[in-house]
Amino acid sequence: LMQNRHILPQTKVTPPPIKLNHQFHEATNCSSDIFRCTLTKIPESNSLLQKSRLPLGILIHPYRDLSNLPVISCSTIVRCRVCRTYINPFVFFVDSKKWKCNLCYRINELPEEFQYDPVSKTYGDPTRRPEIRSSTIEFIAPSEYMLRPPQPAVYLFVLDVSSLAQQSGYLDVVCQTIQEQLDNLPGDARTQVGFIAFNSAVHFYNIAENFNQPHEITVLEVDDVFLPCPDNLLVNLKECRELINDLLQQLPKRFANEHDNQSALGAALQAAFKLMSPTGGRVSVFQTCLPNYGPGALQSREDPNNRSSKDVQHLGPATDFYKRLALDCSGQQIAVDLFLLNSQYSDLSTLSGISKFSGGAIHHFPLFNINKPQQVTEFQRALTRYLTRKIGFESVMRVRCTRGLSIHTFHGNFFVRSTDLLSLPNVNPDAGFAMQITYEESLADVKTVCFQAALLYTSSKAERRIRVHTLCLPVTESLTEVMHSADQQCIIGLLAKMAVDRSLSSNISDARDVFINATVDVFSAFKIAQNLPSGASGLIAPQNLALFPLYILALLKQMAFRTGTSTRLDDRVFAMCQMKSLPLDQLIRYIYPDFYLLDPLFTEEGDKVDPPRLQLSAERLDSRSIFLLDNGVNIYIYVGSNTNPSVIKNVFGKNSVNEIPDVCYSLPNLETPSSESLQEFINTLNEEKPYNATIQIIRDTSPCRNLFVQHFVDDRNENSLSYYEFLQHLRTQVK
Amino acid sequence: EYIQQNEDRDGIRFTWNVWPSSRVDATKLVVPLACLYQPFKERNDLPPIMYEPVLCTRTTCRAILNPMCQVDYRAKLWVCNFCFQRNPFPPQYAAISEQHQPAELIPGFSTIEYTITRAPCMPPVFLFVVDTCMDDEELTALKDSLSMSLSLLPSNALVGLITFGKMVQVHELCNEGCSKSYVFRGTKDLNAKQIQDMLGIGRGGATIQQQQQQPQQRMPQQAPQPPANRFLQPLQKCDMALTDMLGEMQRDPWPVSQGKRPLRATGAALSIAVGLLECTYPNTAARILLFVGGPCSTGPGQVVDDELKHPIRSHHDIHKDNAKYMKKSIKHYEALALRTATNGHCIDIYSCALDQTGLMEMKQCCNSTGGHMVMGDSFNSSLFKQTFQRVFATDPKNDLKMGFNATLEVKCSRELKIEGGIGPCVSLNVKNASVSENEVGMGNTTQWKLCTISPNSTMALFFEVANQHSAPIPQGGRGCIQFITQYQHSSGQRRIRVTTVARNWADATVNLNFISAGFDQEAAAVIMARMVVYRAESDDGPDVLRWIDRQLIRLCQKFGEYNKDDPNSFRLAENFSLFPQFIYHLRRSQFLQVFNNSPDETTFYRHMLMREDLTQSLIMIQPILYSYSFNGPPEPVLLDTSSIQPDKILLMDTFFQILIFHGETIAQWRAMKYHEMKEYENFKQLLQAPVDDAQEILSTRFPMPRYIDTEQGGSQARFLLSKVNPSQTHNTMYGYGGQDGGAPVLTDDVSLQVFMEHLKKLAVSSTA
Ligand SMILES: [Zn+2]
Ligand SMILES: [Zn+2]
Repeated sequence: LMQNRHILPQTKVTPPPIKLNHQFHEATNCSSDIFRCTLTKIPESNSLLQKSRLPLGILIHPYRDLSNLPVISCSTIVRCRVCRTYINPFVFFVDSKKWKCNLCYRINELPEEFQYDPVSKTYGDPTRRPEIRSSTIEFIAPSEYMLRPPQPAVYLFVLDVSSLAQQSGYLDVVCQTIQEQLDNLPGDARTQVGFIAFNSAVHFYNIAENFNQPHEITVLEVDDVFLPCPDNLLVNLKECRELINDLLQQLPKRFANEHDNQSALGAALQAAFKLMSPTGGRVSVFQTCLPNYGPGALQSREDPNNRSSKDVQHLGPATDFYKRLALDCSGQQIAVDLFLLNSQYSDLSTLSGISKFSGGAIHHFPLFNINKPQQVTEFQRALTRYLTRKIGFESVMRVRCTRGLSIHTFHGNFFVRSTDLLSLPNVNPDAGFAMQITYEESLADVKTVCFQAALLYTSSKAERRIRVHTLCLPVTESLTEVMHSADQQCIIGLLAKMAVDRSLSSNISDARDVFINATVDVFSAFKIAQNLPSGASGLIAPQNLALFPLYILALLKQMAFRTGTSTRLDDRVFAMCQMKSLPLDQLIRYIYPDFYLLDPLFTEEGDKVDPPRLQLSAERLDSRSIFLLDNGVNIYIYVGSNTNPSVIKNVFGKNSVNEIPDVCYSLPNLETPSSESLQEFINTLNEEKPYNATIQIIRDTSPCRNLFVQHFVDDRNENSLSYYEFLQHLRTQVK
Repeated sequence: EYIQQNEDRDGIRFTWNVWPSSRVDATKLVVPLACLYQPFKERNDLPPIMYEPVLCTRTTCRAILNPMCQVDYRAKLWVCNFCFQRNPFPPQYAAISEQHQPAELIPGFSTIEYTITRAPCMPPVFLFVVDTCMDDEELTALKDSLSMSLSLLPSNALVGLITFGKMVQVHELCNEGCSKSYVFRGTKDLNAKQIQDMLGIGRGGATIQQQQQQPQQRMPQQAPQPPANRFLQPLQKCDMALTDMLGEMQRDPWPVSQGKRPLRATGAALSIAVGLLECTYPNTAARILLFVGGPCSTGPGQVVDDELKHPIRSHHDIHKDNAKYMKKSIKHYEALALRTATNGHCIDIYSCALDQTGLMEMKQCCNSTGGHMVMGDSFNSSLFKQTFQRVFATDPKNDLKMGFNATLEVKCSRELKIEGGIGPCVSLNVKNASVSENEVGMGNTTQWKLCTISPNSTMALFFEVANQHSAPIPQGGRGCIQFITQYQHSSGQRRIRVTTVARNWADATVNLNFISAGFDQEAAAVIMARMVVYRAESDDGPDVLRWIDRQLIRLCQKFGEYNKDDPNSFRLAENFSLFPQFIYHLRRSQFLQVFNNSPDETTFYRHMLMREDLTQSLIMIQPILYSYSFNGPPEPVLLDTSSIQPDKILLMDTFFQILIFHGETIAQWRAMKYHEMKEYENFKQLLQAPVDDAQEILSTRFPMPRYIDTEQGGSQARFLLSKVNPSQTHNTMYGYGGQDGGAPVLTDDVSLQVFMEHLKKLAVSSTA
């Protein structure tokens, strides 16, 4: 590794392929975008796993937006009688009437119906069934999968209207965006919406159909909040559309003159809980400040002078109020999503509890202000995606695995209802989860291991559905094979989540040590696996683990885990939340942004090649070139001051680099091949994302340059090692 | 005539118009020296006096210059007729002479009214507190009346709206595009401080803070007018918004399950209303108008629970000490009434429901503050609609006929002391040398607060002759009493009405006939009624009747002419002759006989008796009966069964009811529709005459009476039969025994004749 400084492949990093033995050779395994294991070959025993020093766990993105999802509706869903596993491509057919469960090995009867192939409409071979042909499948569930009739989609917006909220101007954006997207909210004719605003009081909106105007009803008794009326606080979206629009137009200005700097978030949440309890649904909370009034009131815990300290305090919650309320919400099928748009410390470590344990999502837009167009665009995009993305209600996810293994620690936002059952009042397509795996017995006598995740949910159109993902992996007795099958991105994803837990249970320094030790251990283990002498110099890694130190270094410099660099506590906590809940592809980009040299897009002669990916180092920069950095949410285009003026003309429509303003958020759509190529490239980057990144163009002489350069994690800075130094450090540690 | 003249001019009626000159003699008169005084009697003939009254300079006196004062025009001095202090006239009176007198010295102006122009002019506040637990028909009718009332209020009046059901909503009035209200749990009692803190009033939001930052430069210029807050806005500014809000006001949305009453937080709502005004407009004209369609069933002031199977308390329950919520509830409303009165505000209660609503518990809210109490069956009745409209009646200057935040102060000659007052007021506990140790009604004070007054508002005031027999009164001396009423006129002006009266003294030992000739039996009957009802309010029981009987017998003993132990010789002078009859009817009336009425009804009847003027009160005590026949014009007839004749129509006015009763023959003719036949035009006219007369009463009285049209044998005829003297139907075989020990008790359902016979017997008895 030390000799190969340019370790990053120019194209996408892919996980090692899963190679199953002949029996399932043709069976399609679950897509690595949905289901991934840290090891693509499972060690046959715990001791072998220990020798590899690699973590064993699975990452799952269960409700990912899919373009080709087989959906079937059948009267009986075929499941194992003992362990309730759904029939899947990796079961054994004993004969045409029986199948053997691949998780518990129990032999089950096959219902008559299963012989029927809905595609060809003929009876015969059960392996033609979609359940057997696809390892990701969705069932429309019959009534026995319902505890109660499907409820309507209910969306409640809880809006901070305190003076800080007024100052940020966020309400304009939220109200406008909601208004624009009302038609696109997932749901059917029964969809309901409601609004609660809060400052030192909780304001409800009665929007009964027969009113001429919305009625605002304010409850001042925040210590004992109650619902002011029994109905019309949640109303049918279609029937009350006009009044809802009316309200959304008025809301941003309604509290503009109140100068109320108190925030009774706790009471507002309690009110939301009471309002939503009968139906469940989604609560979207917009908060701009520290809740300082009424139940769940918090005090500032951050010492701004301590932001670069090694000893990071107050990562854990100050009170269990939000967690307890979240659990109450979870019990009533309510998920609370939090949008934090704070300009001051707001104690996200405590507030995040409301979403973490209710299966909600956390969004953070620090220092948001309506006068910053970039932030407004970013917020609008995020919010639009949030409002329009699919949603599942009253959801539970159960993850099963082959006998011999067991699942223990879960990562993500949910409540663990029983050992393997996650309660998810809402599930959204942008939520990722992870589980750690341990051995209960040896796998020496099995060839494959399967994991099956089943997500039961109610669609916004009131259908009860089950989405089942099955992943099958071969078992190996060889340490070398284990090492060579490691999925480095998946491991990084899992380690990042484990490190967040460690930061909370112990401290950040410990978490940082874990990263380094894990790396050292893996390289030491590889050395043993390769039978290399312990004194041998150099740092040797298999191809599939070559990026491991690079990602680890990035993690050490990531907002969540960095020390020595001034980091606001809320920003750090949000980064930790991201570590826990981002799907892996987004998480990797969040840890190690994609950095491209764009010049090939602008060459006039010859075939255009894809822009090569570069490692995040300033040494890659060239004042004659244009670069692009994509961290998922933002795309920065970095323009060298000596770039060929014709390129500048063709791409930016400017005569010289200097004409590009310091702050520039728009990329012109020019009818030049260069401009078109760049647009096309950016489109491909955006394709994989929940919503389009916002673009910022930065001259290499711009004062905004740091926005770009700060991502160069390969480089040394005053508090951290460069990539090469890090490798050197690792080498001294590896035995 | 003298009495009538005094009443017209000064709004005053004394029990005795010639006063006994010593304490001993006065106590022997049985009926106390007292008066009924109407401080706000309608007097459109009074000249506008735009200056302030001239006060006696003696600090312990401060009486106001009046026509009874001696004036030395040369020396420009006047002698106070209460303390005999010689006072110089103020400089602006330099030009006065015998020919050129200020109005307050002209004998005809013994009652005069000053307008204080330097006091700030404050518009009155009207805070509507509306129950929404009623069916749609009731609510719609009530909303219509409320909307209508807005058009009757002065446009600068401040108005506010609180609605309640299970919860209480305080509505903001200055919002456009989105109505706004604050909601409170109906189970919670909030004090004024809490309300102030919560609603952000008084404590002040940013506006007040900004004002504080600026030094007080502009302060002296501005009148200390509190800023209109979000909840109380000038009508002209919020008329539209309020009309919209009334339009969208809905029935309390909380579901009520079978067998339950709606949860109705009357007590909490009223408490919030009181608190809101308390912290925004203390000591300013303000009315709380409370509309209830049922009993308070939750929270403070609860009178019944929400189980329909538990009926609201009856007199029987109260008697058996079986009214679970009563005491606590009364305590709540009494505390509110006291706070309201202290703030100078008043509470009107409009109660419309088929069952009781808890007026009995809430009564002090009206009684202490002078507010109206209106009781009806339905908000959709003309009784309520008309009555409510009359609240906003105006005088010829288009000002509402209501005064606010009034204090009545009484000054009297040193021979007199003030025993107390009974009326729609609270004591202000202002003591001075004029206060008697003997307390009647609300005593120990010379001042009372009447938070609102209407032209009919009448105070009963009681005096003691303090003069000892040994200290003779100078020849030709007169006793004087001055009534000073300061109040806020509905136009916003601060006004002072002064009535000064004087009466002759007489030595009862020598000239008892002078004194008895000055007896006003009507005033006496009303005064005795107020006293007995005041007693009954604190002590319901036979003792009250025993007391009034005893007074009547003593009066007859004192003023009757008779030979000892010869009942047949008994005679009363003409100006005493009706008094026993008044007492007879009072004893039988709903004021003292409670068991045929609900506690709410008793409360309502007594409420009216304690505030109305003499004429109305007498009607309440002894209803008026007119008879209509072909034999001539209608004539007043005895309230007696003998007046019921088959060929006559009766019109009875009990104040609370107007009843037309058709005699048997008349009823038959009417059933046969003779009045629709041309040839019986005179019958048609006969039928119409009492109806027209009834209409006249109905159209003026407040509150509007219940109108009953019935006939011989009709079920509603019972209302007539319960009032008339049962002279012919009753068993006159009445035995009276038990003279041994204790006060005599007359049983209730005896005829007037029997009553009189026994009265005579007892009056002339040497042992009674
Ligand atoms: Zn099984
Ligand atoms: Zn004097």
